[in-house]
Formats: sequence, C-alpha cells, structure tokens
Amino acid sequence: MLKKPELKNIEARAILRDNAVTIMFVALCVICLAFSGQTVPYVMYELFGRMSRNAFIVLALILPIVAGMGINFAITIGAMAAQISALWTMEWGVSGLPGFLAAMLMTVPIAAFFGYLIGKLMNKMKGQEMIGGLILGYFANGLYQLLFLFIFGNLIPLNAPGLVIKGSTGVANTIDLSTDRGFKYALDNIWKLPFDKALYVVCAAIVLIAVVMLLLKKANKKSVIVAVAGSVAAVLLYQIPAVANLLSMVNVPMFTFIVIGLLCLFNTTLMKTRLGQQFRAVGQNRTVANASGINVNRVRVIAIMISTVLAGWGQLIFVQNMGSFQTYGAHEQVGLYAGAAILVGGASIRKANNSQALLGCILFHLLFILAPSAGKNLFGDAAIGEYFRVFISYGVIAMALVMHAWKGIQGKRRKKNEEKPAEAQA
Amino acid sequence: MTKSRIRRILAITLCAAAAVLMIVSGVNMPKKGGPAGQSILEDLRLRAVLSATGSSVVESYVDIAKKEAQQRVKNAGGGMSEIREAVEKAEEEVRARYSNSEVDITGIDTAELTAATEAYAKALKTYDELDSAARAIYIEAHYAEAEAALEAKHQQMLDAGMEIPENDTVEVDMSGFVPTAEMVQAQAEADQAYLAVGAAIQKIYPVLDEESIGTLKTTVKDVVYQVGDTFDTQYDRCVEQSGAKESFAGYLIRHAADILYTAIALVVLAVLLLFNEWLVDKLGIPRVIIGLFFILLCFMTLWCGLSLPSLMSNTIVRTGMNAVMVLAMVPGIQCGISLNLGLPIGLVAGLIGGLLTIELGVPGWGGFALALAVGSVLAAVCGYLYALLLNKLKGEEMSVTTYVGFSVVSLMCIAWLVLPFRSLKLRWPLGTGLRNTIGLDSTNFRHILDDFLSIDIGGFTVPTGLLLFVALCCLIVWLFSRSKTGVAMIAVGNNARFAEAAGLNVNKMRIIGTVLSTVLGAVGILVYSQSYGFMQLYTAPRQMGFIAASAILIGGASTSRCRISHVIIGTFLFQGVLTLGMPVANVLVPGSTISETLRILISNGIILYALTKSGGASRA
Repeated sequence: MLKKPELKNIEARAILRDNAVTIMFVALCVICLAFSGQTVPYVMYELFGRMSRNAFIVLALILPIVAGMGINFAITIGAMAAQISALWTMEWGVSGLPGFLAAMLMTVPIAAFFGYLIGKLMNKMKGQEMIGGLILGYFANGLYQLLFLFIFGNLIPLNAPGLVIKGSTGVANTIDLSTDRGFKYALDNIWKLPFDKALYVVCAAIVLIAVVMLLLKKANKKSVIVAVAGSVAAVLLYQIPAVANLLSMVNVPMFTFIVIGLLCLFNTTLMKTRLGQQFRAVGQNRTVANASGINVNRVRVIAIMISTVLAGWGQLIFVQNMGSFQTYGAHEQVGLYAGAAILVGGASIRKANNSQALLGCILFHLLFILAPSAGKNLFGDAAIGEYFRVFISYGVIAMALVMHAWKGIQGKRRKKNEEKPAEAQA
Repeated sequence: MTKSRIRRILAITLCAAAAVLMIVSGVNMPKKGGPAGQSILEDLRLRAVLSATGSSVVESYVDIAKKEAQQRVKNAGGGMSEIREAVEKAEEEVRARYSNSEVDITGIDTAELTAATEAYAKALKTYDELDSAARAIYIEAHYAEAEAALEAKHQQMLDAGMEIPENDTVEVDMSGFVPTAEMVQAQAEADQAYLAVGAAIQKIYPVLDEESIGTLKTTVKDVVYQVGDTFDTQYDRCVEQSGAKESFAGYLIRHAADILYTAIALVVLAVLLLFNEWLVDKLGIPRVIIGLFFILLCFMTLWCGLSLPSLMSNTIVRTGMNAVMVLAMVPGIQCGISLNLGLPIGLVAGLIGGLLTIELGVPGWGGFALALAVGSVLAAVCGYLYALLLNKLKGEEMSVTTYVGFSVVSLMCIAWLVLPFRSLKLRWPLGTGLRNTIGLDSTNFRHILDDFLSIDIGGFTVPTGLLLFVALCCLIVWLFSRSKTGVAMIAVGNNARFAEAAGLNVNKMRIIGTVLSTVLGAVGILVYSQSYGFMQLYTAPRQMGFIAASAILIGGASTSRCRISHVIIGTFLFQGVLTLGMPVANVLVPGSTISETLRILISNGIILYALTKSGGASRA
C-alpha cells in the first residue's frame, strides 16, 4: 500500500502527463499575451467572435471520436456541402434568416449523403480512419473544384449577380454574403447583447432553471446551490470596474451561443440513449461490440453522418459570421484547425467531451489571435507568427497521435508483462 | 450467349471496323500531296478567294443601287424623307439578293483566276522562305547579345528584389532587321502576281474598281498563303472562309491521319476487351483506369493536333525528375513502415544542401555533388531520429508520419525566414527571409543532369544524364535489396514477428530502411530541382510526399509490397497523364486549371484505394 502523500504525488503526475498539451498551450498563450502588446479588451472581443463562429464545428468532432474513429478530418466534406447550399440559396435569392435556414435545411441531405459514403469508405480502412479521412478530404476537394469550376456556372447556369465572373470559368473566387441576396449575420443578429446584459440574462436563466429543477425534484440541493451561488458570484465580480473594463468591447451574439449550447446538450443526451451506448461500445472495442450483437459498421456510418451534417451547419455559422467565403479555399483547413483545437482542450483520439472541445477552442483561438503580433514583436516579422500557428496546429495533432500510439504500445507491453508472471505462477 | 462470347464478337467487330478505317486512311493519306488533293485544294482556294472578295462586291452593288434609287426619286421630285426611304429599300433588296454566302461558280470561267492564284501562292511561299532564312541568320548573329541582355535584366531584377519569371526566354530584338535584296525582289514578284489575281477577279466581278482590289489584298493573301502551311491548315482555312460544304472525298483526305488514329484506338479497345479480366485481375481496377486514361490522352493529343513526340519528351523528363523521390518510397515499404508520408523531412534536408551550394557559390558538378553530400548527411541524421520515433509507433506509422511531415514543413517555414543565408540569390533584398522560389542558373546546377549527353531526335529530347542518374539510383536500391542487410530488411517488413523469432534486429532494420528512404528523398528533391530549374521552399514540399506515394501505388505497389519496376511504371504513368492532360484540357476547356484538379483526384484517389486494400475491411 502506498502512503497517502505518495499516492497524491503520483496522481498529480498523471494529471500533468495526461494534460501536457493543454498545460503547454496555456503557458504558450500567456507568453504570447505578454509579448503581443494586445490589450485584453480587444483580445476578449476577438475571442468571443471566434468562439461564436468556430465552436460549433469543433463540437461536431466529438461523436466520431467516441465511436472510435479518431478525429474526423473528413469534416471538410461537410463544409463543402454547406458551401454548395450557400451558393444555391444565393442563386435563388433567399436572403437573411430564411436564406440561412434554407441553407441549413439543404445541407442536411447533401451532407448526410456524403457522410454515408465517407462512412462506407472508412469501414473499409478500419484503424486508418484519420489518414483516410484526411486524404478523402483532399480527394473530395478535387471533385469540389470540378463541380464549381466546370459544372456550376457552365453546365448548370447561375444567374445571380456576383456568382460568376465574366471571362473566367466557373464560380467566382469569393462569394460575398453581405449583398441583399446573402445571409451575413443572419444568425448573429437575431439577438445581440453587450456583455453585461448577456451576463445578467445567462445568470438569470441559470438561476431560473436551477430553481425549476429543484421544484421538479430532478436536481439535488447541492448542485442547485452551487449554480445559484456561481451566477451571483459572476454578477458580483462583474461589478468590479476593472473586470468590467476587460470585457467592455464584447458584443455577444446570444442566439449563436444558444445554438452551440443546444449542440452540447444534443451530444450529452445522445450519449445517454441506446445509440449513444452503441457508439461508446464500438469505440471501446469493435470485436466485443460485434460479439454483443451491435452492427458495428452501421453504427460507425451513423456517427460519421451526424458529424458531417453538424460540420456543414458549423461551416454555415462560420460563413454567416464572416460575411463572405473563399469558394475554393474556405473548407480546406477546417479539419486541421478543428482537430487541433479539440486536441488542445485535452481530448485524445479516443476520448472527447463538450468541455474539452470548448476549452480547446478557446485556447487554440487565443493563440491564433496572439501569435502573429507576438511573432512581430519578438522577431520583427508577423509571418513568423503566422507560420508558428500553422506549425502548432500540425504539431499538436502529430503530438497527440504520437502520444496515443505510444500509450497503446505501452499498454500492450504492460499487459504482456502482467501476463508473464501469471503464466509463471501457473 | 455467354459474356465472353459477346465480348469476343464485339472485339472482332471492332477489329473489322478498324481494318476498314485503316484501308480508307491508307488510300487517302498519299492523296494529300498528290493531284487529287491538289485539285480539291485549288477548288477550295478559289471558292475562298471569291467568297472573300464577294462581300466587297456586294458592298459595291449596294452603293450603286443606292445611288440609282436616290437619282430616281430625285428625278421624280420626291422630298428628303422619300429619298431616305427609297435608299434603304434599295439596300435591303440588294443585300437580300446576295445574302446567299456560298459562291456559285458554275457560270463563271475560273481558269484564269485559278492560274493566277496558284502563281500568287507560289510567289508568297518563295518570299516567306527567303524571309525566314534571313531572319534565322539575323537571330543567330545577335543571339549572344540578347542572352547577355536578359542576364543583365535578371541580375537587375534580383538586385531590386523581384522574382525572376519562371518561363523567361531569350528574345532577339528584330527592330534592326533589314530585308535582303533577294527578299525585295521576291516581294516585287509577289506583288506582280497579285496584280494578275486582281485582274482575274475584276473579270469575274466587273463592278470592283482598282481601289477595292487594293484593299482586298491582305484578305486574299491570308486566304492564299500563311506561314507553315500544310494541306490540313489550308484546307481548314479555305473551308471556313468560303463557307462551302465540304465534299466527302475532301473530308476523307483531310482527316486521313485522324482516321488512322481512330483505327488504332479501336484495335487497342478490342485488345483490352479481350483481355480485360486478366488485366483487372493482374493490375487492379484503378491502375487499369489510369492506364486506359493515359492511352486515351495519347489519342486525344493526336486528335487535337498536338505534338505527341514533344509531349512524350516532356513526360520522360518529368518521369526522370520525379523518379528518385518515388524511389524513396521503396526502402520505406520494404522495411515495414509502409508509405513514408514523412518524406518532406528528407526533402527539406536536400533543399538545405542545395541552398548551401548557392550560398557558397560552388559551380557545376562540384556544386551538385556538394548539395547531394550535405543533403544526404542531414537527411541521414534526421532520418535516424525519425526512425527512432517510428520504432516506438509500430503499426500506426501512416497517420503519424503524415502529420510529423506537415509539422516539419511548417517548422521549416519559420526556419527559411530566420536562417542566416546571405546570398542575394537566396534572400529578399528588402524584407526578411529566403525567397519562395529560388531560380537556379548556369552558375549553379540548373539542368546539370538533364543536359549531360542529351540527344535531340527530331523534337524528342532524351535527357541522357538524368535517365542515367535515375538508373544508377534504382540499381543501388536494387543491389541493396539483394544484399544480406537488404534481404533481412525485407524480411522484417514482411513479417516483423517472424523476423524477430529468426534472430533479426527488427528496430535496426527499420532504422536502416527509414534512413535510406529519407536520404533518397533528399537526393530526389535535388534531382527534381535541377531539372525544374527552381528550388521551391516554404509550403511547396508539403504535398510532395503524397505525390511520390501515389506514383508508386499507380505503378502497382501496395502499402506493404513494392518493386523497382513499380517506381518506373508508376512515375511514367502518373507524370504522363499530367503532362498530356494539361494541353488536351486546354484545347477542350480553354484557360482552365482542370489539369491540377486531375492531379488532386488521381493522386489522392490511388492512395485511398491502397488504404482500402491494406486490410481492415472486416465486420468488426
């Protein structure tokens, strides 16, 4: 038996080891913040903007990870589906919120179909899903170019102004959603509040829900008290002018964050259903899951389909916030950045949850905001910061993969070592 | 009827059709130069000339009719509005009468015009030959001067920090060119001949005056003769100009070559039909598709009238320049790390070697050798570390190597910005860091392998040195795989457990394979750069690992098995499709980037296929 302090020591070390990436990233962000020369209010303003447009797509990665398929780099294909839908709502001239909803609706069948194909293909390369997804994304990009360069605008004519540029083949390089045919800010502008009001609304909602839950006897007293106390503390903390100042520039697109919250809720509730249990079973061990009567291939296809559709919606949220998108490039880095973000939050390629995705998104984008200016101040060149963040994105993924593979092999070795003494005893 | 029987009947039908086409083509081909072809051409030329002049004849008639109408109404005492009305009506009538564009030559005596046109064409040809010969002499005399000027310009651009355009060629300034006495005389003869043509035209259309004959000169000249005329170009031009219906005989003669190509294509199709099961079985569907696509592209280049030999020559060069990088996949696959998608590690090492040569200013072969040596040593060191990493991750190499490769490339992007190179050939004079693409020139190792002992056979250039170097590399890898170490390495790659049981050091063998692969990558990028003429830094090496991997897969390798022949076949097919694809695509869809799209589809498609074949398709 270990003594208590020793046990604690080992636990602490394990926590450190398991969250090495996250801790390193926090340190990196602090360093960059110190050298970037950016003010905190500005960083906060940027961060909220980036969170509102990127969090959804990062959350879309959770299901395939739980189902044991690793990071779904093929979400780029979901993004392509979203861009196809966005193009056609523009063409039909459905603008504003109806346009956004139409694009969302149209994304569903397209992305689901693509997801079905991706799932089918990934079932043929079990154990290689991530590299397969990555290359599938590249391959699909070729088909996407074929579609946008030679079919849309040529074989299928597009009439809306600005979609096709005369004298060049195919759809224009940039699609501008801020025209009267587009849906720029369609979701963000439904309900936008300055930070103080947003905080009060959120805290009031939390208190209200907690009380209702208590009355319905669905929650115990302790958690309700924690929730209420937390909300009150947050409101009180905000009354300190120094704190309020830091967030003075932030304008919260409430509805976008509500949608993100709904997705979190969807992820957690899905995990409690039978399908969710099947995801988890398949993710833990395919052989065992198969033996217990789960149709492994079907479950994996469903996971990828849901993920692809969610990624499509995520891309639409991204695009409506940005106001325009690069027709041939907007989707390319989606998988890379989302994958790196979720890993930064402490997820592995076998385990992920909502809070890891959100934390990762915050940290990753914090670095994205800070790295260029920090690079400029440290080395006199903003390009170094740019390259540094790309390096970090790839590096984080490489490191996560290495660590995962390493753990797997060490686990096997440990098992072997444990088996050997057992055999010797027998 | 069974399937195979249908197939056989189909194949025989195709062969029969091909035979018929071949006979048709064989009969018609010699007619191009013969009297039958000439008479068709004469007829067409005549129609074209008449049609070209015809439109100005109509204008003349319109003028006359207008004047007549005006006079008539004036005489009848009509007002201004009536005159205008009458003139418009007369114009409409005349135009309607002559709107039929095809010239009717049945009622006209054309013998004189024919003779005059022929003479004019001949005179023009003589002049053109003299002209081009004189120009060639002039260019040769002034070439060195122009080359020096271009180099000076490039030096200036370098100093100003601009990028040197990749396809800048030496152009001799022709403003100082003076026609020779012979040319002047030939010109006069041609003008004389045109007068005869003009007289003949006037006989047919008396309405044309001297002035309109003079303005028609350039039109007639363009119809009658253009530089580099062959039967085909004259035929096409005259048909287009005259708007006449092509006669069937003329069509057959014009397209005799195309008919021959079609016949050969049909024979190929028949052969494929007969052996398709065997082929699919031996090669796998994607390779058959790519092979077929390549053959199709070959025929397409012929049908589009592009030069197949020069494109093939390009293909050979591009095969050579990529082959060593593809060869780098071989030791990786043999030692069991499957496709080495971390190849950029080696590429970056090779690039550093190349940069060092330029920095130190070592010229020619010595420079290239230095680049190879430095690149190889660096690659060996990096490859060793990389191999140590891979030994910890057996079975998960593919995804890890990809992202390790990506990370290295983006890390090197920072390195390119901060590395302390000083040469202005490498750096931006203003701003920090190295250039995106570094142009090699004759003082470095540009084309050093390509131009070594290169042979030129009628538009088909054989880059002997490049091919020899590739062959040498292949030989070394082949010999190594036959050596004791090589055999042990392959055994480890085939079955690590079995090899371990047989007493082989698995980790060591994997290290050897990985290091070899990385070093070959470094050599490969240098071979590539010297042939391409540019070294590409920053994000350029990122995708090259994929291109190399897909090439060897196209050649028939799998993620666990490969041969040297796969390298050669795969690189040739892949590069062939890309080289032929671009001009053909440009003919079909002008100004498109479809060739790049094609590369993306082929290279990633074949890797996906290989992944699906690498196992894991079980239900659980």
